[in-house]
Amino acid sequence: MRLGYALHGTIWIALYLLFILAPLFALLAGMWPPARDFWTEFAVALGYSGLAMMGLQIGLTARFRYVTKPWGEDVIYHFHRQISLIAVGLIVTHAVILTAGRPETLVPRNMLQAPWSARFAIVSIGALIALVVAALWRVRLKIGYEAWHLSHIVLAVVAIAAGVAHMVGSGFYLVDPWKRALWIGLTIFWIGLLLYVRIVKPLFMLRRPYRVSEVRRERSDTSTLVMRPDGHPGFRFSPGQFGWLTVWGSPFKITGHPFSFSSSAAVTNGLVEMSIRNLGDFTSEIHKMPVGQRVYLDGPYGAFTIGNPADMHVLIGGGIGVTPMMSMIRTLADRGDTRPVILLYGNRDWESITFREELEALQARLNLTIVHVLANPPAGWTGEQGFITAEMFKRHLPPPYADHEYFICGPDVMMDAIEKALGELDVPLSKYHSERYSFV
Amino acid sequence: MRRLFADRLVFATGVIVILMSILFALLRVAGF
Repeated sequence: MRLGYALHGTIWIALYLLFILAPLFALLAGMWPPARDFWTEFAVALGYSGLAMMGLQIGLTARFRYVTKPWGEDVIYHFHRQISLIAVGLIVTHAVILTAGRPETLVPRNMLQAPWSARFAIVSIGALIALVVAALWRVRLKIGYEAWHLSHIVLAVVAIAAGVAHMVGSGFYLVDPWKRALWIGLTIFWIGLLLYVRIVKPLFMLRRPYRVSEVRRERSDTSTLVMRPDGHPGFRFSPGQFGWLTVWGSPFKITGHPFSFSSSAAVTNGLVEMSIRNLGDFTSEIHKMPVGQRVYLDGPYGAFTIGNPADMHVLIGGGIGVTPMMSMIRTLADRGDTRPVILLYGNRDWESITFREELEALQARLNLTIVHVLANPPAGWTGEQGFITAEMFKRHLPPPYADHEYFICGPDVMMDAIEKALGELDVPLSKYHSERYSFV
Repeated sequence: MRRLFADRLVFATGVIVILMSILFALLRVAGF
């Protein structure tokens, strides 16, 4: 995390806590009903904060560039997943404490005769539990990604709406019209976030379509989509950033797919390229995409981009994780930037090295060293083999290692190993950047 | 490592929210 980003990050964390805790403590302002016992009041506080956290979950995945910039989109999604467990934990604990002293409320017959506010609570908690189960065990439950994504949004809306109905229906703290207005306003804000993501942003994208102008076959079952803005100037991006691509449908389609831009960021005509490997899902259709096909791009996003020109740039790419590195290398070549760059590039074998020939050609224009690391090297191979390790850094990088900037993109297992190796080499967190393309 | 930072942030947020909920309850029981 860069220094400028640290301040931004701190401000967003403070705002996040403010949005969770301020509406709770606002309940202490003005008139308030007589206090109950500690456990009841504690449980109520957990319920209010848990609901506020759930509402803010929509904002975390709303793709606000200013929010995600200090950390990167992948870390925000990771936070979204982890914090949801805390929020659901708070809400379930709220219910457990409140019903602990009244077991009769859990009898199904009594549930049916319970007041509406209690029924809304049951609906909300049921939806939350279904939400968590589907999110944690989607693959094991054999739920397709797009079906899961739709159910995720529906369950979240049901959980939050029922939670708010329960809160207003219980009425204990919200008898005061100002407090009720505050919480209803907060709910409208959450709904506004959802409308922004699902209606306003797609409408904006609808007016800024792209056309596929070329589909280029690359090594290792990879296709590069070359996309030209259709009737608008497009956007500028920084090398290493990514965009959300929607193919075969409108921007109102629930699921977009994140891909790094692989083209040079130095182009001024809005042309962008994404290089997509066939992984057996919708990506298996990419190479069949006709020239002229309309697609939608939402971007650019991500904090994974080239750093201080005075530092050696160490690019570590695993398989198709090389795409943001390609954008960086092509951009440096177009800009005539000859800062020292080392690319450690891991692949299955010699024939599966995507962009192999172009990288060799780019070495003539750049201060670029390429270290190929092959899992299955051909006979007579004298280069690196196996997986990228800390020992390889020691063999190919000049010390001190903490002076370089590291960029890592590849499969999760590779990234975990490399982040650990960099830690062992005392490379500070501020000197390395990573992007996990499996974050959704 | 960045995800480790996020994990710590999640943990810290959880602790802060629980502590603030305890404070809320104590304030209420104390007469607020």
